[in-house]
Amino acid sequence: MVFAVRHTDVLLKLLGAPHQNDLVTSALRLAQALLDEGAAVQVWACGDATALTCAAFGDSKPVNVADRTVDHPSTVTLIRELLIAYPERLDWYVCRFCCAERGRSDQIAEVLKRPPSQFWQHIRATDKVVAMGVC
Amino acid sequence: MNEYLLIESGGPPAGPASHRFADDAAQLAREGEDVALFLVENGVTGAVRGAMPELDALLWLGGRLWVDAFSLRQRAVDAEDLVPGARLVEMRDVARKLLSPAVRVVWH
Repeated sequence: MVFAVRHTDVLLKLLGAPHQNDLVTSALRLAQALLDEGAAVQVWACGDATALTCAAFGDSKPVNVADRTVDHPSTVTLIRELLIAYPERLDWYVCRFCCAERGRSDQIAEVLKRPPSQFWQHIRATDKVVAMGVC
Repeated sequence: MNEYLLIESGGPPAGPASHRFADDAAQLAREGEDVALFLVENGVTGAVRGAMPELDALLWLGGRLWVDAFSLRQRAVDAEDLVPGARLVEMRDVARKLLSPAVRVVWH
């Protein structure tokens, strides 16, 4: 079966290491703002950004010893909730090669692994690309 | 006239590339293009008076300077310390601008 990339208004390409700076916060804020404006969005996570949806993370971050009673959601939970909230307008893809190279092939079911050789299909299926972060 | 949304996320702490990027924005404005430079994350520190002289040129040439209010609050920077002409914006303003068909966007 041939996979067809759903057309979107914006493609956010995440290239940077997720916790080196505020990239994740900015990417999620921008995705949420675009969705709130009625846009269709796809995210392509490459390199270390594939860690954001790694299944091994679980739903919550480890307990914060300074605030044991508060549940801090993992990026897995945040992204899953976003995907559930906008099933018709948000797609999250991860680079299959980058996942395999980093031992992160076990991804949550809501995201889709795609071969890097098919990235061009995603470029063609969007009106704009925002490349965020550096490999 | 082309319309540009340039996004600077590193600012002066990230090194000279942020200054060059702001200078690129000023150069586009100098050539008559419609330019908005959006500072986000550590990039907002560039909007503090005297931190990034290139911003004065951008504003003088008619470019717009947008500063992310969220990033500013996170870093406890007072809006009164920003260069005159800087405008505090939220991510929804950026999203609206980005979705305008004519706008070309670069994230740095």
